[in-house]
Amino acid sequence: MLETMSTTWLISGPPGCGKTSWILNTLRDHPGPCGYLRLKGTSQEGLEQGCDAGIDRTWLQDQIPSLEDLSTPQPSPAAADRINLIELQQFQAPPEEAPEAIDPAIRSQLDTLQLRPDRCLLFGRDPELPGQDTLAFNRLEAWSLSLHNSVWDPNSLSSFWFELVNGAYGDVYRAKALMNLPDGRAFFCNWMVSQQGSQFLPLERVEPPHGRPKRSSELVVQGKALNGIGIQTTIDDCLISDDVLEMHQAPMRDQQPESTHTR
Amino acid sequence: MTPMAHAVISCLHANLAAVEAVLEDIDRQGIETITCLGDLVGYGPQPNEVVQLVRERAIPTCQGCWDEDIIDGLNACECSYPSQLAERRGHRAHHWTAEQMTDENKAFLASLPMTLRRDRLLFVHGSPNSQHEYLLPDMSAFAALERVETAGADTLFCGHTHQPYVRELSGGSIRVTVEQAGSEGATEQELTLPMRRIVNAGSVGEPRHGDTKATYVIHNDTSGEVTIREVEYDVAKTCQAIVDAGLPEVFAWRLSHGFEYAERADDASHVCER
Repeated sequence: MLETMSTTWLISGPPGCGKTSWILNTLRDHPGPCGYLRLKGTSQEGLEQGCDAGIDRTWLQDQIPSLEDLSTPQPSPAAADRINLIELQQFQAPPEEAPEAIDPAIRSQLDTLQLRPDRCLLFGRDPELPGQDTLAFNRLEAWSLSLHNSVWDPNSLSSFWFELVNGAYGDVYRAKALMNLPDGRAFFCNWMVSQQGSQFLPLERVEPPHGRPKRSSELVVQGKALNGIGIQTTIDDCLISDDVLEMHQAPMRDQQPESTHTR
Repeated sequence: MTPMAHAVISCLHANLAAVEAVLEDIDRQGIETITCLGDLVGYGPQPNEVVQLVRERAIPTCQGCWDEDIIDGLNACECSYPSQLAERRGHRAHHWTAEQMTDENKAFLASLPMTLRRDRLLFVHGSPNSQHEYLLPDMSAFAALERVETAGADTLFCGHTHQPYVRELSGGSIRVTVEQAGSEGATEQELTLPMRRIVNAGSVGEPRHGDTKATYVIHNDTSGEVTIREVEYDVAKTCQAIVDAGLPEVFAWRLSHGFEYAERADDASHVCER
């Protein structure tokens, strides 16, 4: 249990170390109001930042509907029992643990949003955070794709994900995505080279069967020698057309009570 | 090896290096009788070469689902593919193969019978019902027994799944209740079936058993013993030929890992209705 005072922590670590999962569990356990922000990290020599494109925020807000988005300046004063957790992908540990040691580029982003971390926790350094999946990377490419409006053929998604994480399109170390299915569900797909198997976690919110889903859908991949064209080509074969989507949705609309036939 | 041994090969899938390696392995054992369960083409880069080799060796062959589709066009219903992705890739491979094949080799595929029979041994690609039906090792014992029994066979040799196995179906019985018009009551009859077997030969050209080795089976006609053989071949050579041919590169990737790339449909026992 965190102390009953407004708390702002900066949680950083390398790709796939479990930052978002730890944040989700911490926020779920916190009885008071909570806020979340994912900062844009900085790339380093040979280590490219993955474009999160809102995947983590969308996932967390789905799981915790009351979660406040800290990407706009917050009205003050904050509630005393509030907790703000700020996520940052960071490949190497800063020289010091103290908040004063935060990278100036990161500090600038925080200042703009009037956020001042009380603590800076780093995966792989601080024992309060799990360390089993904290890997040291010396070279990392990033590839991402917006899948807004896209809906996957479910079995095709399964095949694509298998191929992606097993090396058909390069050495993938990290992959995560939000993917829409024809029945209105969406899944947070999560894979890390150090873990066995993938996570496919359903979002709570199910889209109504009226055309293409409105929510965010993205794919982010990090690894080496990534074959972006190959990934894109396969994805094109996996996404369903308007006609096929309608074939899925028409029976679902027919099964709904009359009063819910609204857009 | 006794003179009564014969080899059963299946699912060659235009993989010449694998076919040559398996035929060499069979020849080394002095086996002179070979039966092929079809799917000579599809996915792989050497359809003409593989068909030509089978013709030259005069190997008795029944028609596989790919062989049928190449000559009849893509008229299998969508159930043949487990996903949109598999369907689109399959169609690309189909069109590429259809363009490459000579009329003579297509005519050969068109001439292939659906089944081959030798006494109580039946040879099919998928099942006695269809080239597209999968007889999986874990399918219901009743359904499996029905496929063998109604075909009038003791041992049914099949392929299509690309996973070699031998399944013995013993202790089977059929109980029938017969009501006759004009007579009171019903008579009950029970028929106890002798042991039946399904032998899946796996795949020469597209192994799908978690290994890259080509598989086939040897059957001893006298003792009934079945041996599943695994044969190494130059996988890299075929993978390079797939890429050079312009076929989807993922076919080469899966072949190099022993993964399946002709995934089966959700309902494996579904029989295509055209």
